Amino acid sequence: MKTLKMEFYKIKRRKTGLTLGAMTAVQFLWCVWAFRGPDEYERLQGWLGTLYSMPLLNSIMMPTIMAVLASRLADIEHKGNTYKQLRTLRNAGTLFNAKVLCGLLFILMMYAAQLLFLILLGHSLHYEGRPDMGLYLRYLFLSIACTFALYLLQLTLSMLFFNQMIPLVTGLCGSMLGLILMYLYNWNLRSLFPWGGYIATMFVGADWNPQTRIMTYYLMETSENGLLSHGFIFLWAAVFYITGRWLFTRREA
Amino acid sequence: MAAQNLIETSDLTKQYGKNICVSHLNMQVPEGAIYGFLGPNGAGKSTTLKMLLGLARPTNGSITLFGIPVNEKNRVRLLTDTGSLIESPSYYGHLTGEENLCIIQTLKNCPKEDIDKVLHIVRLEEARHKQVNHYSLGMKQRLGLAAALLGFPRLLILDEPTNGLDPAGIQEMRELIRTLPSDYGMTVVVSSHLLSEIDQMADHAGIISRGRLVYQNTLEALHSHARQQIALRTSHLPVALDILRQNGIEAAVEEDYLLIPMTDDACVAHLCRQLISQNLSLYRVEKREKSLEDIFLSLTGKEHSL
Repeated sequence: MKTLKMEFYKIKRRKTGLTLGAMTAVQFLWCVWAFRGPDEYERLQGWLGTLYSMPLLNSIMMPTIMAVLASRLADIEHKGNTYKQLRTLRNAGTLFNAKVLCGLLFILMMYAAQLLFLILLGHSLHYEGRPDMGLYLRYLFLSIACTFALYLLQLTLSMLFFNQMIPLVTGLCGSMLGLILMYLYNWNLRSLFPWGGYIATMFVGADWNPQTRIMTYYLMETSENGLLSHGFIFLWAAVFYITGRWLFTRREA
Repeated sequence: MAAQNLIETSDLTKQYGKNICVSHLNMQVPEGAIYGFLGPNGAGKSTTLKMLLGLARPTNGSITLFGIPVNEKNRVRLLTDTGSLIESPSYYGHLTGEENLCIIQTLKNCPKEDIDKVLHIVRLEEARHKQVNHYSLGMKQRLGLAAALLGFPRLLILDEPTNGLDPAGIQEMRELIRTLPSDYGMTVVVSSHLLSEIDQMADHAGIISRGRLVYQNTLEALHSHARQQIALRTSHLPVALDILRQNGIEAAVEEDYLLIPMTDDACVAHLCRQLISQNLSLYRVEKREKSLEDIFLSLTGKEHSL
């Protein structure tokens, strides 16, 4: 607990929250632009529409945001040459866990802000009815799991490499891959990439009618393949955690 | 009763690929000592200290700290009574000196008042609220020492603590280290590649060369090896050697000189008269001194064991 507390103490004046806040604000602005001026039909299915759009948006932005978050948390140790001192005070595994938990708390805060924003946006745009909190919690759970897996990957890279360009470029490539994977219609293949988790676990589908130019959203049934996609997210998280912790603890200071 | 050894290593070895950095090191640091760990650059000093602190895994051998064999389970617990400064100081540049110490103090679980005490010891009280990025190298080094002193541990391990300091800073650091055993009951292991530095600070010395410990004893014992001799150069060395023997003096021949043990002026004058009376030309009479530097060089360069 003390080690975790110190993680937050260490990033004092680093404006980590502000950086993440700014990136999240960009995401929110994107939403405001994308959902602007809904008509009657769009209002009717507005809540479902957000659950269709947000995974796509997360898929594009979250890999980069996670790369930035992990880098902000890890590079202070590289810059200050502090690992060797910390490792005389705590086991390497404990230090790794503290960074993991610190990042997870940031992720939880980001998604809490996202949920609040979506509800406020929906109300301000006069969406019909109330948001289905069960669906929203499902969305949050899957998105957090997927984001956490990416954070673990980025944290490992940021802690292992002194040069933070390597993890940051990985994050940017992940964002691009997330975008490309949207056009991949083989759902199983999407699951094979940790960046494809947002899309692979989507449970709201959309039918686009080119004649009427109307988008109709619908809840998808979770097939066996869908469950497999869910499993892959947790598999990636477990793989990244175990590998990252192992690589970090075996490395000599 | 002999003082307990706070550090004991047995056959400590570290190998990176085919390169053996530290080889079968048997280090013994008595409690209350200032142990100067001396060796040329790349001799294996930092690697040894890193192994003591668990920052590098030994390829072979064992380490005992405070009489307890160190393993991965008890390593951090044993190190809570240890302070260290390895290579360059560790710090968070965006935080103030006091905030940096606060992190170590919290992780070490030592009283908050210690921060004021160590800042006073290293004379950084006025700069405590300044961001460490704005510190000079000397100040950063002092902050590193302050961090190592937090909790006033029994054992302090300092790797080249005067690196990068100006002459005044070096002197100040030495003075400070010298007072630690008497003022705070600490045992200090301090590494350096400078013999003069260790000579001014330490009371025990371990000399490492190419990964092997070639000397380990008190500094006093090392000084006793620094002996003075008289060197004589004459026109005929074998005859001169005989004359010296007849006077009961055993001499060694080194290049064109005869080396005899240090003796008083009257004896030297008597020997000179004897040599001249035998029609030998006496070209030179010199006082020779084998300095600590010579001993260090012979130990680290030629690896002769004392």
